[in-house]
Amino acid sequence: MGENYEVIGKSVPRIDGVAKATGRAKYTGDLKFPNMLVGKILHSPHAHARILNIDTSEAEKLPGVKAVITHRDVPSTKYGLSPARWDETIFCIDKVRFVGDKVAAVAAVDEETAYKALKLIKVDYEVLPAVFDPYEALKEGAPQIFEEYPGNINTEIHQHFGDVDKAFAEAYHVRRDFFSGQRTYHSPLEPHVSIAFWEGPKVTVYSSNQSVHYLQYHLARVFGMPMGNVRVLKTHVGGGFGGKLDPTGLDFAAVKLSQITGRPVKMLYDRKEMFYNNRGRHAQYMELTTGVTKEGKILGVHANFVMDGGAYTGLGVASAYYAGALLTVLYDFDNYKFDMIRAVTNLPGCGAQRGHGQPQPRFAFESHLDHIAEDLGIDPLEIRIINARKPKTVTINDFKVDSYALKEALEKAREISGWREKKGKLPPGRGIGVGNGGFVSGAGYPCYRTDLPQAVAIIKVHDDGSMATLYTGAVEIGQGSDTVLLQMAAEAMGYPLEKMRIVAGDTDLATHDFGAYASRQTLMSGWAVKKAGEEVKNKILQTAAEMMLVVPEQLDVKQGVVFLKAHPEESLTFEEVARTYFVKYGQLIGQGSYKPPKLGGTFKGAAVGTSPAYSAATQVAEVEIDEETGEIKVIEAWDVHDCGMVINPALLHGQVHGAFYMGMGESIWEEVLFDEKGDVANGNLAEYRMPTALDMPPVTSELVDSIDPNAPWGVKEVGEGATTPTMACLANAIYDAMGVRIESLPLTYEKVWRALKEKREKEKA
Amino acid sequence: MYLPDFEYYAPATLSEACELLEKLGPGAKVIAGGTDILSKMKQELLFPKAIVSLKYLSGLSEIRLESNNDVIIGAKATHNSLIDSPVLQEKYPSLCNAAHQMANNQVRNIGTVGGNIVNAVPSADLPPLLIALGAKIKLVGTNGERVLPLEDFFTGPNESIIKQDEILTEFIISEQSLTGSTYIKFALRRSGALAVASVAVAVAMEGNTCRKARIVLGAVAPIPLRAKKAEEMLTGKEITDELLEEAGSVASAESKPISDIRGSAEYRRDLVRVLTRRALRKAINEGHV
Repeated sequence: MGENYEVIGKSVPRIDGVAKATGRAKYTGDLKFPNMLVGKILHSPHAHARILNIDTSEAEKLPGVKAVITHRDVPSTKYGLSPARWDETIFCIDKVRFVGDKVAAVAAVDEETAYKALKLIKVDYEVLPAVFDPYEALKEGAPQIFEEYPGNINTEIHQHFGDVDKAFAEAYHVRRDFFSGQRTYHSPLEPHVSIAFWEGPKVTVYSSNQSVHYLQYHLARVFGMPMGNVRVLKTHVGGGFGGKLDPTGLDFAAVKLSQITGRPVKMLYDRKEMFYNNRGRHAQYMELTTGVTKEGKILGVHANFVMDGGAYTGLGVASAYYAGALLTVLYDFDNYKFDMIRAVTNLPGCGAQRGHGQPQPRFAFESHLDHIAEDLGIDPLEIRIINARKPKTVTINDFKVDSYALKEALEKAREISGWREKKGKLPPGRGIGVGNGGFVSGAGYPCYRTDLPQAVAIIKVHDDGSMATLYTGAVEIGQGSDTVLLQMAAEAMGYPLEKMRIVAGDTDLATHDFGAYASRQTLMSGWAVKKAGEEVKNKILQTAAEMMLVVPEQLDVKQGVVFLKAHPEESLTFEEVARTYFVKYGQLIGQGSYKPPKLGGTFKGAAVGTSPAYSAATQVAEVEIDEETGEIKVIEAWDVHDCGMVINPALLHGQVHGAFYMGMGESIWEEVLFDEKGDVANGNLAEYRMPTALDMPPVTSELVDSIDPNAPWGVKEVGEGATTPTMACLANAIYDAMGVRIESLPLTYEKVWRALKEKREKEKA
Repeated sequence: MYLPDFEYYAPATLSEACELLEKLGPGAKVIAGGTDILSKMKQELLFPKAIVSLKYLSGLSEIRLESNNDVIIGAKATHNSLIDSPVLQEKYPSLCNAAHQMANNQVRNIGTVGGNIVNAVPSADLPPLLIALGAKIKLVGTNGERVLPLEDFFTGPNESIIKQDEILTEFIISEQSLTGSTYIKFALRRSGALAVASVAVAVAMEGNTCRKARIVLGAVAPIPLRAKKAEEMLTGKEITDELLEEAGSVASAESKPISDIRGSAEYRRDLVRVLTRRALRKAINEGHV
């Protein structure tokens, strides 16, 4: 990548690695405070019911119970992502809308008492008809779940760019396919935990979450408190994947229970309750129609989707827009129509999960594209090269894409996977497939309407210059952001990484940042950190120039040494310069702030999908299918990513492995199932089958050179984009192996078995 | 999830344990490894009034070879101790392999063979092969002990002929003329998954002639099911690929699967066909694997 960097671009060990590997790292659930109580939430046993009465008197009498609360004790303020869809309250008021909905909460001296108290709360319900399928929910006469969503339509999107009908009329070939994706759940290792305690008018909330800012905002808004009286912070977080971005019932209930009892209250979800809280992947039903030239160039696309939102909206409205918005990025075409209906049903609410609304539409489109390539007699990888977006272009829906090396990624993936030697030449039962993906490097606009900057960072150099602390609101959830941001700070300052510390994810002690979602932190938090570091550097150079009787432009600073560029042997240490600065001017501080320029178009929903920079990725996978049982073995996988400048290659490749793992799980094994009452049927890690280490194939992760001009040092995202190609990549490999197309996720063994059986029967007939 | 309240007993001797079980009545349950009962209790599927732990009972974990070549497996032997047993590795490595396909290492480390039987879960991994090997079990109660074929133990899902005061103490696999045995499990991931269908076989071959075959199907009926018609059609026959395919089809017709979240009845039935053929071929060609 040309530039000679001191700290970035290197696989330094993650700063929390030793603490985590030795078990010393304290997660929120490990924290204990004097007099701490344990809280639990009572969940609805019905999918749809009117609440007639709640009697908490018996629960209150149980020795050890310190408080029992229902909707009567908390504000009825609705919350959610956007004001038009604020539809959730702390506790249900008149109705419950899914099995697992929040009805009441207790605080008790220990967990056992809390559980027992839950059983003593008497709720009288009038059970109502429920609906679990989005198509059923959209039918006339279906049970109405929300007054504010007539016909159970939560979100309706109709976007049209160019002229799709004309494109189809002029196309050599028009093809329509239908695909579906299933509900999946993030399943982070660490359950959601929240601990709240009060000091006077101020509440402190430790929460295992992805954004301390949004949680602070939601708590302050719902409880009618100034944001300054709500402190949200976190310790180590054991994974989020989108599932720890919405506020949970735990956060709200812990705050209230702690206020009533005057004691710290800890609350956590057990595994099944995590499935109730959900906010996982929507089930999507995706009809795609595409017109192409004889040579395979895409002329126009019509995406006609329906999605099952479950009971509450949360971030789900953004999922709906993302589903169609990002389809325009990978391949260049001028005519596009996107129709979407997001229906509400009596199931747990869906939201953002790694890749947001996009992975399933990518599955659909990349499968569809393979069909088109076959129809035209073009190699699947070749048709992608033909259509791959070029850098410095603008999508039909107004996304400005500066760096973009999808074509290079495809070519490199073709090389390292041995595509040419394998495609069509593998032994029976073996197949190879390709899929493309990518993502935004941070959403162009925050989750709620505000003019706040995306990220602010402060670096404070300690008085004698022997140490520096980075303050950021960025949230380390396991992805490595603390390490990466420190590398960036050290690089920008010209300071050794070993002397840097971080204070992050604390609304009191750190700085403003919107947190870990939409793959934003390396770029957005990174910008603020870089600017803060450069301000420190400028002050150091200025002070050193005064000390050395030169002008700052003659100086540079690297790894803690300030030197004359023309005579590097003439130098001062960063420490002595920093100390001099402190004596003369006070604390040595650098501050940086980042707000992207105005991005995107002006049509309805134009904001979703905007970003300063877009990543691109190609995955190739090889599978082996047992033709008699349908069993799928993923033999090997290759990922080539365009993610701009890489700050920490080891962490980056770790993200790719994790993303492939997660994508593979969603492709073949994972699906949230429900019983006939709408209760989660497999809310545990035995029957919600994530892959094990034994199922994981070798993954080769490679990069293509790319520097984005809109990003600090040219960085882009990797964490979510690498999940988006996997589903289609595996579906296409299965098709290559067996000649059967599985159009619905997950691509289970039984579906493959059935498709093979039907194929044999058809061939016989 | 939390454990409901219960009384807890940890008797020192077997007779004391049996007496306790009798005295406490049907509300009392035995705990050995606890991998099944505790999770059921936490999920509020089971509310025992009392739990009688076998932890202090000695001599029930041994795996040994008797002078008459019988293999004795103590009911408290863990799955991992089966895997690691030199006796089994020598005599019936197929049993080691079957145990290795169970659950995951943590469960194998604490879960017991006895528990895998007494729970009478249709998808359990050890019953099919133990039945195929002709294992007998010893049940000890307040009125003495009885020994019976494991095959006669199960009566339905979570149901068996065990009496309230009885404790399963050991398995006996008598020396036989078997030449091969194996267990094939079909599950939806490579570890930590219950069988969708499974097949265990044991065969006695003489050259290419099958003198005896036992075929036991798992997870496709309320109990581990002998596919007796398939066994009969193999007995005394020269083994050919066509015959094995046919045996698979016959076993498939004998199975009585249900549809659940892990697979449809139709799928399971066809898996039985494939797995039976494969298991037979493997045991015939490779011995006890």
